[in-house]
Amino acid sequence: MDKYTEKIRSIAGNLLKDGKVDKVIGYKQGSLPMAANPFAARTQEQAEELVFNSTCVMNLANYLTDTTEKIAVVAKGCDSRNIVNHIVENKIKRDQVYIIGVPCSGMVDKRKITSEFETDLTEFAENGDEITVKSLEKEKVIQKKDYLRDCCLTCIKPNPVIWDELAGEFVEEKKMENRFASVEKIENMNPDERYSYFTELTRTCIRCYGCRNACPLCYCPTCFVDESGPQWVGKGQNETDIQTFHFLRAFHCAGRCTDCGACEEACPMGIKVREFTKKLVKDSSELFDWETGLDLSKRPPLDTYSPEDPDDFIK
Amino acid sequence: MNLVKIDKNGFKQGIDRARKEYRLFGPAKGKEGHTIRHLDTDEYPDMTYNDSVLSAKSVLFPQTEKMLYTTFDESEPDHHIMKRAQADYSPQAVVGIKPFDAKALEILHLNFDNGDYRDPYFCDALEATTLVGIAVNSPGSCDFSTSTGTGPFDESALDILLVDTGDQYYAKIITDKGQSFAETCGFEEAADEKAATDEINALKEKAENAVTSEIQYENIAEKSIVELYNAPLWDDIAFSCINCGTCTFVCPTCWCFDIQDESKGNSCTRMRNWDTCMSPLFTLHASGHNPRGEKTSRVRQRFMHKLKYFLDKYDQGIMCVGCGRCVKQCPVNIDIREVCNKLNAYEEKA
Amino acid sequence: MGNLLEHIGIERERIHFSWISSAEATKFVDVVKEITDKVRSLGPNEKFKKIYN
Repeated sequence: MDKYTEKIRSIAGNLLKDGKVDKVIGYKQGSLPMAANPFAARTQEQAEELVFNSTCVMNLANYLTDTTEKIAVVAKGCDSRNIVNHIVENKIKRDQVYIIGVPCSGMVDKRKITSEFETDLTEFAENGDEITVKSLEKEKVIQKKDYLRDCCLTCIKPNPVIWDELAGEFVEEKKMENRFASVEKIENMNPDERYSYFTELTRTCIRCYGCRNACPLCYCPTCFVDESGPQWVGKGQNETDIQTFHFLRAFHCAGRCTDCGACEEACPMGIKVREFTKKLVKDSSELFDWETGLDLSKRPPLDTYSPEDPDDFIK
Repeated sequence: MNLVKIDKNGFKQGIDRARKEYRLFGPAKGKEGHTIRHLDTDEYPDMTYNDSVLSAKSVLFPQTEKMLYTTFDESEPDHHIMKRAQADYSPQAVVGIKPFDAKALEILHLNFDNGDYRDPYFCDALEATTLVGIAVNSPGSCDFSTSTGTGPFDESALDILLVDTGDQYYAKIITDKGQSFAETCGFEEAADEKAATDEINALKEKAENAVTSEIQYENIAEKSIVELYNAPLWDDIAFSCINCGTCTFVCPTCWCFDIQDESKGNSCTRMRNWDTCMSPLFTLHASGHNPRGEKTSRVRQRFMHKLKYFLDKYDQGIMCVGCGRCVKQCPVNIDIREVCNKLNAYEEKA
Repeated sequence: MGNLLEHIGIERERIHFSWISSAEATKFVDVVKEITDKVRSLGPNEKFKKIYN
């Protein structure tokens, strides 16, 4: 991915030099081996700090919400779909963003990798599809394809949907047998099993709201869980209050979620938050033939009405 | 202080004896990794754990804690009068707490019992608690506890310090509470003082040398609050922050809480929940005004509190024990070590 | 909404959507009867129900 880094730096450097944008939002290497963190370069010099590798997991569309500056942004397939959604929902104007599109071969799952080691990781070096990971106790060479994030394994758009400049050649779109296998597994359970499955899923939630805050869709000025007059949800560690948060947050993402995985990435407790939203991606696809963020001229399905909308649930 | 030798084969038996008189808490593995939680009757503390997502803070300061209760039923004589909620303050022990996590409880204690106020919930729980620490032989990569005034073998906040030497533990009994706990467990086989001390010191030195990351804060005390507050570095530090509460919740020294009333029918409870200064709601006034409405001001508050306000107020170092949890768990890797070093090195331009 | 509730384990038969005009008194009665019958046959819901303590 080094060639991406080089290209991104040169595009970003030129944009900043020519004053075409106020800042370039991309990723910078953090203080830990597997942390490429959101970063805003404002000068040509800072543009040299930009990187791109398989740990660029946060969704950068999240940093565009309601900004007034002229911004260039590094966008993988999923980020670009969220930028489309942002433009459609009037959170940013198309002519305000200069999109540096990055065809993406998937991001790796930090948890899958760390689970192979007893101690903290100290080094993470990529060489094509091979990754060398070192920890305090051992070194291991792994294949990237074996450690991709779940959301990357079922990604339908690795290439950017819209862009102003590309940082590399398009990658081949994968053929998938069934991207909703994880949802179907749950659908095949009986109601009691499903309820205990989700109860167990959110049992360890500490309500840090990392999932919500990492999500580009969650831009409400006041989230329903923070509302105090009226207060919709209790604030304690009550099981039902926690479930209510996850359930309603997910529903607010119906027809808008791009399955970028930022929510799961942010969760300190490793909760598979996508188990909620993935069902909605499936429903949107089946009921409305809809995939989020592919077309600037279409509004999300729950935002529009068509006489053809399915209506057999109502009588 | 005395030194006791515990054969690992007899450790579980000792824990079982303690269980009869203490409610036991300790590291236990779940799908999220290790947490320090109440141990069921068939569970033993996993003394080999490297790291726990959450610290032992929640044992003494639960994320949700019932404080008071009352009834609205006017036929009851004490209706509408808040009474203290019942809680179990019988003896409890945290077995396998890290030395710096115990130090963090000392920092919480400073706040919860500061001369003017005594928080009965935390203080009563602390009094009931025996802290049995496990020395950290192999510190993690984000551990910087040696530069925060504590360390992997720091016994200052513990009742007992256990040192793992392979097939046995040495137990340094530090307080009377520790002595009672050891007696209950039947951990009474005296160790050869000289040999044990030498071995412990060697392990201690090795562990402390293995702590490779450090912070500097010795210049921060002299700098003015206003100077640091106005330093032009906060926007950059805060840029990537998503304002979730992870750093504050995983932090063993963050003590802020929010009070909430909940009622159903005639019964009402008042509880407190961990709160986070990262949330805009933390400072939102009833008028609608928010003194920390911007992300940068919230991020600045967290670091200024830990690294400057606390330092100035108590003159006991910074409000951080160097456990490294926030560094590891932050979804965007905002690193308190970098922030602290930046503040320490900051010079106002003339 | 119904699909997601069903997905997390709430029985589908507990969730009803209906469009009834103020002039359709008979339809209203019929729908309410149908709903109560269905829910009664399922018994009380114990899921997603807050327990105060």
